[in-house]
Amino acid sequence: MRLTDVEKKMLDGDMGYPVQKSMEIMVALGESFGAEKLIEIQSTHMPGASIVVAGEAGTKFVESMQAKGGKFCAYTTTNPSAMDSAQWREMGIDEESGEMQTRLTKAYENMGAITCGTCTPYFLGHVPRFGEHVAWGESSAIAFANSVLGARTNREGGPSALAAALIGRVPAYGFHLKENRLGKLHCKVNMPLKGVTEYGSLGYHVGKIAEQDTPVFTGIPASVTLDELKALSAALASSGAVALFHVVGVTPEAPTLEAALGGKKPEIELSFGPAEKAAVEEKLNKEKSDGAGWVIFGCPHTSIQEFRDIAASLAGKRIHKDVTLWVCSSRPVVKLAESMGYADIIRQAGGKLICETCPVLTPTRDLAQKMGYKILTTNSTKMAHYSPGQFGLLTHYGNQEQVISAALTGKWR
Amino acid sequence: MGEKIIIKGRKVVKGKATGKAVVSKEPITFVGGVNPITGVVTEAGHPLEGVNLAGKVLVYPTGKGSTGGSYRIYDMVTRGTGPVAFVQLLAEPIATIGAIISEIPVVDSCEPNPCEVIKDGDFVEVDADNGIVTVTKA
Repeated sequence: MRLTDVEKKMLDGDMGYPVQKSMEIMVALGESFGAEKLIEIQSTHMPGASIVVAGEAGTKFVESMQAKGGKFCAYTTTNPSAMDSAQWREMGIDEESGEMQTRLTKAYENMGAITCGTCTPYFLGHVPRFGEHVAWGESSAIAFANSVLGARTNREGGPSALAAALIGRVPAYGFHLKENRLGKLHCKVNMPLKGVTEYGSLGYHVGKIAEQDTPVFTGIPASVTLDELKALSAALASSGAVALFHVVGVTPEAPTLEAALGGKKPEIELSFGPAEKAAVEEKLNKEKSDGAGWVIFGCPHTSIQEFRDIAASLAGKRIHKDVTLWVCSSRPVVKLAESMGYADIIRQAGGKLICETCPVLTPTRDLAQKMGYKILTTNSTKMAHYSPGQFGLLTHYGNQEQVISAALTGKWR
Repeated sequence: MGEKIIIKGRKVVKGKATGKAVVSKEPITFVGGVNPITGVVTEAGHPLEGVNLAGKVLVYPTGKGSTGGSYRIYDMVTRGTGPVAFVQLLAEPIATIGAIISEIPVVDSCEPNPCEVIKDGDFVEVDADNGIVTVTKA
């Protein structure tokens, strides 16, 4: 790799250990993927903000960077942590984990991060511009930033996003280069889709086949919502490792199918219709009983529009006594939901608002055992995917209406 | 001694390691798919569900899913529940970064296809520096 004189000094340790170690990681990564140089980035979204992901070893690694004087030189927001910092004991988090998570969050904050604890930083004004180079982690946010915003990021893991924030650079490879951003698969959507769950099912079907490759969708109307694109992003990056997708007529690099594919023929032609949708729903609906159990919204984090819809369907009602209802989001969005009156409606119905975390990033397997949860009911494709393996909970998966109905009646239908 | 097969590949992360093979024909996610305390694959319906990765040379096509995988690999390797090397068809950044900070070797672009010719339990010597994977059949 070609390094500038400044970068050579960074690598030699002239700017301290955190910069040197970060350069070593980035040069090794760049050489692995054939990068010719480093490029400067505008911002970082930091995964590995939860102790469930970082573990003891990762937490110590982040703390050591801070202790040795590490300072972020790129604007940095953090992904969800393992707990709501204001009510972690009520969530069932033990003292040891609570203490370790507080240390990890503090280390990121001391290096200069905005510790917002959300997988949807774009709802808090962290919105990279078209063509801007960034270093984002969080699989759903990466796909959103690349595809919907047209920013350029690879799939950064915790250590590489940390290194990027500390040196303000990433190796120039992969999705940073225009020639790697063309679509390889084409998926024709043959039915009208509505809501985050149906778009999630689409993403789940295509992500499994695409793996790391970029799909191009046709047949999605320009009226598709940000929440639907958020759900599509999350699902594509759950069953696969999709970092970028194009929607013809919707996303900025896909004015036409030909442009999105770079004038080439797609390597794979797919279609998505009622049969494919039903197959995804059957695969993710693993729970056989009709109990509702633990009902969760907010994967990815609930937007203010979704709060409005959930509140509207719960107004003046009570959730069933056997149901625990969580709605997960970032604290600023929850504050807005409070000032709009949505939060009160959900709380009066018996629901809990959980900030800065989500079941994918909290020790859900332990919490479920401690709190006696046996079934998870959700409208989220990503959560339904991770739940059986990661949480040990079988899942009911359906749209918001079905999930709210289960919360109110205690029965899945 | 069993039959030996030499597989040629590309160095992704430097280093040498040896161990028994665990082979998956499906991509793997380390967050949400593997228990870091035990090293056992937990993803429901995955071909490796229930298999322990600790101390093994993991042979698989590529990674998928969560970007938390890098720290998860580092945590597992530090605990002694992680694989000792990755042999892949196509490297992706998340596992690669995990391997860089964990200092375990990674080889990809292997010929012949390691997911076909290597079987569970074969003894595998990974020499990433020279891009050579030597397999002794069990």
